[in-house]
Amino acid sequence: MGDKQSTISDIVKNYYHNYGLRAKELKGEGKQFIGYACSLVPLEIITASGCIPFRVRGSVHEPITRGDTLLETIVCPYYRSIFDLSVKGKYDFLSGMVIPHGCDSMVRSFSAWSYGLPFSYFHFVNIPSVCDESSFEFFDSELGAFKKSLEKFTGKAITEEHLRQAIRVHNENRDKVRALYELRKTDPPLISGTELTMTLTAGSSLPIEESNDLFDQVLTGVKGRKNSPLKKGPRIFIDGACLDNIELIKLVEELGGNVVADTICNGARDHLPKTDVGGDSIEALSRRYLGKVNCPKTYRANKAGTFEGDIANRFGDIGTYAREFKADGAILYVYKYCDPFGFEVPARKAYYQSLNLPLLHLEDIYSAGTMGQLRTRVQAFLEMIG
Amino acid sequence: MSFVLGIDIGSAQSKGVILGDQGSLGSFECASGGDFKLTAEKIREELLSQAERSVDDISRTVATGYGSKLVIFADEIKSDIVCLAKGVSSLLPSVRTAIDIGDLYTKVLRTDGHGNVHSFILSGKCAGGSGRILQVIARVLQVKVDEIGELSLKSKKRVEFNTGCAVFAETEAISRLSQEVAKEDLLAGLHRALAAQINSLAERLGVEQDVAMVGGGARDIGLIRAVKEIRGHDILVPPNPHMIAALGAALIARESLTIQD
Repeated sequence: MGDKQSTISDIVKNYYHNYGLRAKELKGEGKQFIGYACSLVPLEIITASGCIPFRVRGSVHEPITRGDTLLETIVCPYYRSIFDLSVKGKYDFLSGMVIPHGCDSMVRSFSAWSYGLPFSYFHFVNIPSVCDESSFEFFDSELGAFKKSLEKFTGKAITEEHLRQAIRVHNENRDKVRALYELRKTDPPLISGTELTMTLTAGSSLPIEESNDLFDQVLTGVKGRKNSPLKKGPRIFIDGACLDNIELIKLVEELGGNVVADTICNGARDHLPKTDVGGDSIEALSRRYLGKVNCPKTYRANKAGTFEGDIANRFGDIGTYAREFKADGAILYVYKYCDPFGFEVPARKAYYQSLNLPLLHLEDIYSAGTMGQLRTRVQAFLEMIG
Repeated sequence: MSFVLGIDIGSAQSKGVILGDQGSLGSFECASGGDFKLTAEKIREELLSQAERSVDDISRTVATGYGSKLVIFADEIKSDIVCLAKGVSSLLPSVRTAIDIGDLYTKVLRTDGHGNVHSFILSGKCAGGSGRILQVIARVLQVKVDEIGELSLKSKKRVEFNTGCAVFAETEAISRLSQEVAKEDLLAGLHRALAAQINSLAERLGVEQDVAMVGGGARDIGLIRAVKEIRGHDILVPPNPHMIAALGAALIARESLTIQD
């Protein structure tokens, strides 16, 4: 790695560790940041309004000390951590928060957010739980309502041109993430899973144009590498919800595995599906967020008529990624009390079996304190498939 | 003549095995205590003295178990899953499913009889369904942990235990004792509850016979009987079932010597 690359890596690390640093600076310049915590919030509409979307994160290193006074522990630990940090003031630079119907915890806790936090804007996006034609019609009008609420908040109209421009720049961002993923195809990958997750996480805290610049710099730096930071080892696919910290991926890579692809929210689920261009922007966004983002929260009817056909339809993206990135094994990482993933575990296991891809299922509580226990399991899994 | 060590630092008990070319030359078990590094040293010294060897005679050491990272003199660290499979296959090659009852976790693994692991599963993060509950109950009843198996077999009227949680089990046991339930009936009920948890863990992975039980918990004949009853087939138990991971570690050490040669 040359000097330039190490500087870029320092920038990424700085944004990752001092999360929200740039948002605080820009708030001082009068910019408004709107928080979100799920892949199902249409970021393009926030960008089109002139506000900046900001992915709020939890912290596996910080115990939940205040959030539990306002939320019951039946809520998943990841979401409780985000809420806890928010009520402790970590995200006070935000002007608002958008929560979609991403899981039961999100829908049920919306009121706790709106009375527990000092933001001036709150909006709940009612994303349908099914995926029929009527769902898209409903979601089109729901996105229209989201647009209107932002217009009211900013006092400025969001035009079709604003939306098109936002879709273009967010799609550019996804192209760059795709290009970063391409660098994982070599053996060993040119970019580690730890580096990639840090980069994408840093990007989610920046205005989209700055995120594009950051990804460009990382792409140039990594492409210029002569050697991979990793050694050859089992190629691991990570399946699960939001993994907004590097602990698990770092653990896998420390133990000799290489993380090469994923379905995680702040990975492939957020970043890989693109929005169609050319037609009506709201309809295109509705297609992307309800149709293309594959989240277990959405019920997709069994059109195949068989269990095998159904799991192939529902989880086909896993098989596609696993083949494309030549995965040797997969880790299904599920938070305790995660209702969308929890219900799907048996079907997902069956799908991995149909792919003949060895699977390690981990249930965790979103705390760095459990890494020792996860180590035992991951180490055994890597030895088993290695 | 070459000598190898396998050292298994568990969360409660630590075990070690020394192998020569012709097989085992000694084994040793002690409490893990608060200083895993010191425990590992103690096991090595004991094994060397049993085999009448010195540190320089040891060609390779493989460490495993919860505290394996603290065996600073080890040449290699291997996961206990892989070591268990190796150890159990060497003694009972017909075994396809091994159930390890440890202090913190119960582990179930599928193997091919040559020590290769096909799949595995561990019990949850709390000690529910692990061997810890046996120690807790022994303390409550004021009996030695190695006596509870025999005692349980004497039961004529097993009580139904409602919990698999080691903490709630203690509360439940005390409440049963206040109802004048006999120790043996209480133990039989506890064994049954634990066996049911172990069985459902095994079923989640899928069971292929023959089935073996290993680990410290496999020394409890009351537990073995309860698992047999629930599963409706025989369960194999190797001699010194608590030594299996350490034995597997030593066998892996010897194998890598052969490869290096």
